[in-house]
Amino acid sequence: MNNALIIGQYVPGESLVHRLDPRTKITVIFFFVFIVFLANSVVSYSVLVIFALLSMFITRIPIRFILKGLTPVWFLIVFTFILHLIVTNKGTVLMDLFGFSIYSGALIQGFAISIRFFLLILVTSLLTLTTTPIEITDAIEDMLHPLKKLRFPVHELALMMSISLRFIPTLMQETDKISKAQASRGVDFRTGPLKERIRAVVPLLVPLFVSAFKRAEELAMAMEARGYQGGEGRTKLRELKLRKRDVMILLLFIAVVAVLLVTRNY
Amino acid sequence: MNIKTLTVNAIIAAAYVALSLIAAPIAFSNIQFRIPEIFNHLVIFNTKYFYGIVLGVFLTNLFSPTGMYDLTFGVAHSVLSLGFVIFLAIFIKHRLTLLVINTIVFSFNMFIIAFQLYMAADLPFLLTWLTTAVGEFGIMAIGIPVMIMLNKKLNFNELMEK
Repeated sequence: MNNALIIGQYVPGESLVHRLDPRTKITVIFFFVFIVFLANSVVSYSVLVIFALLSMFITRIPIRFILKGLTPVWFLIVFTFILHLIVTNKGTVLMDLFGFSIYSGALIQGFAISIRFFLLILVTSLLTLTTTPIEITDAIEDMLHPLKKLRFPVHELALMMSISLRFIPTLMQETDKISKAQASRGVDFRTGPLKERIRAVVPLLVPLFVSAFKRAEELAMAMEARGYQGGEGRTKLRELKLRKRDVMILLLFIAVVAVLLVTRNY
Repeated sequence: MNIKTLTVNAIIAAAYVALSLIAAPIAFSNIQFRIPEIFNHLVIFNTKYFYGIVLGVFLTNLFSPTGMYDLTFGVAHSVLSLGFVIFLAIFIKHRLTLLVINTIVFSFNMFIIAFQLYMAADLPFLLTWLTTAVGEFGIMAIGIPVMIMLNKKLNFNELMEK
């Protein structure tokens, strides 16, 4: 339980990646997700792999830790690889295995897609590994700023996100407490037939909703009593600032994209 | 947006995340029933719950190891499904009908998630759509009586508007 309370993936650190402006990180990762699909050759894949591994090493987060975080997706990666081995039949037959022919094309495609998937997961998880949720909130509020003109409630959403982040551990503790209280009354959450297990959720949800709404009400009252007003003219505790290193990283990323485009088909 | 709407949605999102982090999905072979999906029905009782649900999905994916890639598609799935149901709610006023429609829309739209997995991992699109949709349909169908019962005790509409 104690471990589960440390929500999110964030690993504190002082590395270059940690210190980057969250907006820079979000921008780079956003475009990385698109350019991954442009790679189609050994060289272009290598460019992306080098970029991803380099970024990973710069964060100075123990590799063991990163790999552990990827545990749930290993299965998917291996599954994808095997699926392609069986389904694809391009190229020459390499060997026969239990009546299935393994083609050279299948091996190549299986590898390519597994690497692509691995790259996607690795690079996108670098954001949450090196950025606190609250930094991400600030960055999103800033990046969505233009939508304010369309009367989109940007500030309210960002505040909602901060409040939410603050209450996740509280409600996790609450959920844990409720499920233990109900278990002591004989509710079985973990075993038994599917129908019973789903029915067991109801005595968990009722008290959770009641306490959640009570908290929301108290919070709203406290905010109103203090005369909270959001939006225009409000100052901030944490100000985002683009620095030299952010510009450098953005330029480096543009260079990577350029190299990728040149090395396609090689 | 008034303060009450803001805090209620924030806490609903937090409850969504807490539930999905604590209550592991009830898996049945490779079909998963994710309990917090029941929250999707809140929008039928009051459309203002839209923000809380979307934010819940957003934050849950932010904490998941698959990160931002999941996040974009997961949020797109919720926004499109909820938006469509809110639009239909203008014409249809019968609550049970809307709950059923909500279940169907969310399950059908799982093609967005299937497409994401197809793009990233090249998983077979139709099969992925089917398994994810069955899981979604299952949990949301179970959610209908659960939410009706909860609403009798709590009155979701009044909790948001009071």
